[in-house]
Amino acid sequence: MRDLIVRVIARFIIPFIQVYGLYIVLYGHVSPGGGFAGGTVMASSLILYVMAFGARSEKRRLPEWVARSIESAGAVFFVAIGLVSLFQGTTFLANQAAGFPMGIPGRVFSAGAIFLLTFGIGMKVFSTMITLFTHLIEEEEKEGTG
Amino acid sequence: MITQHLPALIILVPLVSAFIILLLGPNYVRFARHTAMAASVVLTVFALLLLLETTQDGTIRYYFGGWQPPWGIELYIDRMTGFFLAIVSSINLLVLVFAAGVLEQEIRERVVAHYYALFLILTTSLLGIAASNDLFNIFVFLEISSVSAAALVAVNGNRYAMEAGVKYLILSTLGSGSVLLAIANIYMVTGYLNLTYIAEALPAAFAQYPLNIVASLGLIMVGLTVKAALYPLHIWLPDAHGSAPTTSSAVLSGLVVKVYIIVFIKFLFRIFPVDFIEIFPIQPNLLVMSTFGILMGSILAIRQTDIKKMLAYSTVAQVGYIFLGLGVLTPNAVIGSMLHILNHAIMKTILFLSAGCIIKLTGIREVNRLEGVGRVYPLPMAAFSLGALAMIGIPPLNGFVSKWYLGLGALDADQPFFVLIILVSSFLNGLYYLPIVIRSFFGREPRFSEIKVLPIGARFTLTALAVAIVVFGLFSALPVGYLEPAVEQLFAG
Amino acid sequence: MIDLDLVKLWDNAFYGMAIIIFLVGFWIMLTHSNLIKKIIGMNIMETAIFLFFVAIGYVQGGAAPILDQQGVSYVNPLPSALILTGIVVSVSVTAFALSLVVKLYQYYGTVDANEIAYIRRNEE
Repeated sequence: MRDLIVRVIARFIIPFIQVYGLYIVLYGHVSPGGGFAGGTVMASSLILYVMAFGARSEKRRLPEWVARSIESAGAVFFVAIGLVSLFQGTTFLANQAAGFPMGIPGRVFSAGAIFLLTFGIGMKVFSTMITLFTHLIEEEEKEGTG
Repeated sequence: MITQHLPALIILVPLVSAFIILLLGPNYVRFARHTAMAASVVLTVFALLLLLETTQDGTIRYYFGGWQPPWGIELYIDRMTGFFLAIVSSINLLVLVFAAGVLEQEIRERVVAHYYALFLILTTSLLGIAASNDLFNIFVFLEISSVSAAALVAVNGNRYAMEAGVKYLILSTLGSGSVLLAIANIYMVTGYLNLTYIAEALPAAFAQYPLNIVASLGLIMVGLTVKAALYPLHIWLPDAHGSAPTTSSAVLSGLVVKVYIIVFIKFLFRIFPVDFIEIFPIQPNLLVMSTFGILMGSILAIRQTDIKKMLAYSTVAQVGYIFLGLGVLTPNAVIGSMLHILNHAIMKTILFLSAGCIIKLTGIREVNRLEGVGRVYPLPMAAFSLGALAMIGIPPLNGFVSKWYLGLGALDADQPFFVLIILVSSFLNGLYYLPIVIRSFFGREPRFSEIKVLPIGARFTLTALAVAIVVFGLFSALPVGYLEPAVEQLFAG
Repeated sequence: MIDLDLVKLWDNAFYGMAIIIFLVGFWIMLTHSNLIKKIIGMNIMETAIFLFFVAIGYVQGGAAPILDQQGVSYVNPLPSALILTGIVVSVSVTAFALSLVVKLYQYYGTVDANEIAYIRRNEE
């Protein structure tokens, strides 16, 4: 699908999709959305990129080891945030009780740990989705070339 | 500080270690092995501490984020759960020690690190299912366990294993789908997901919406018996357990199948009051299915020529035993079931691991070509024989004790027919295990071009499991003494 | 015994539809030998369960559960939140199953379960 129109449109639209995905991730605690929804939107931008420019140039932009590291780091980050509350003397994943600043409800930097947790989930989902997609694509390409 | 967080840490330690292994990637095999091993050691210590704690305080509760139920997610560790956590973590440790020397030769180098990570994720899910007191949490862990178990089956890249993996994945998704629908029905009529609260709200809900409860009971039965491979629904098991790598088969047969039974016990005792079970025909259904399972599993095992497939069919029969105890539903029978969960975990692990050793050392998979192998390789064959004798139920070994309690339970319920079933099945077990044992030790000594040596880890694991078989057989008062109050606790609701 | 109450039936149409979709998915899963179709059937079945679960929490005319207006009835957020998790799980199961099927296709040159069984039998 090396079509000129697709390429031009993709180049134009991908940054907007990514910003929108990031918006959904960051506003997960004040509006509908969150880590999973935002992460998938962000991943869809890269899937569009693969569609337009091919998997090989996508690999150059986002090497496999980076995607893999983001994926694992997202999960470890989530657990690490949860473990903070253990050291504050409350139970795992405690939020306000563990001393996370609550902020003003409705603002972006509010709701303490939830903000950070959503961010971690968003990163993880983003990289997982893109890894899943490139893996399936890879199998197909290998097969196509024999 | 750390002791109060044990219930959460026991789930988090393997999870975090798995992701740390994945973070470094497939090239750090040694690091992966050491991390997995360290995590399992920590896990086993934690589980044993929890086991001790349950003997003193009874039930341990842990609220995530400090939110009290019914709002928050609760971990609930009673004696039964503590027992299972200890089994999972210690078998897990032994299998990992075994894997250290053997695994690298069985699967491709590139996936070894991932294998350890998957293994730890599977352990996480097993511990999570057992410890969780929240229905949806249980569902999520169920799905994690089925995906990671299917991955552990398919990991060695041979096509039979792939096919078995697909089959396993589809059927177990069907099972978890049924469980989720059941959870939806329960949530619909009670408004809770926490087991304790559901149990309180259920009688009122039953008066108002009886059909939903009946539907959910049926769906739970179907969903969990598919996943636990009770007889007519066992079709995925022999392929999956027979074609997986050795360590995977051991864990899948020894632990993964059992965890669904633990969930079933949770549903049966913790949610539905005992008089519910008498209203609905759960018991007769379970009895019929498990009787057929015990007999057909053994008969099908006799017909197998492949040693691992034979062991897999034997698992079908043994799952039948465990469900038989739940079907009879007297305290002794339930003790028998719980004991069999422990004993079968030990026996099947030793059988699969030693069979894997034999296959690796001699390259022979066929049962009737094992002639004289025991003379060349005494340790794995002796371990196999000990496991086989325990499986048949020869008295001083552990398999006998659980069968004894199942029989006692059946007699308590005035159903001597099931004692007969147990005896017949022991005879059938003898029919397929004993020829292997006899032939391998008294047959003509074969000539192998080279004599290979087992790695030290494998030897250690086989010896430890063999000791466990004898110890739990001779000192059966140890687990029974722990389980008696546990079962009392269950019957009290 | 059961008298048909059409209004009540209409109000609970979600559940009826969920059961119908569930059965469709189940049927596809059981009867088709094409593995890809089996996986699609599995997905349809799971979608039906998700619909059922989300319908439990739906309140007719309810608003999104964000606490900024007063005197509005809210949709129960819990089932939606749970089902989001369910969808994540379903995505990963599907992706894994599909990648296994791709591998099987490379080995056997077909995605039909019966043909695979036939090839295997001839090999043995």
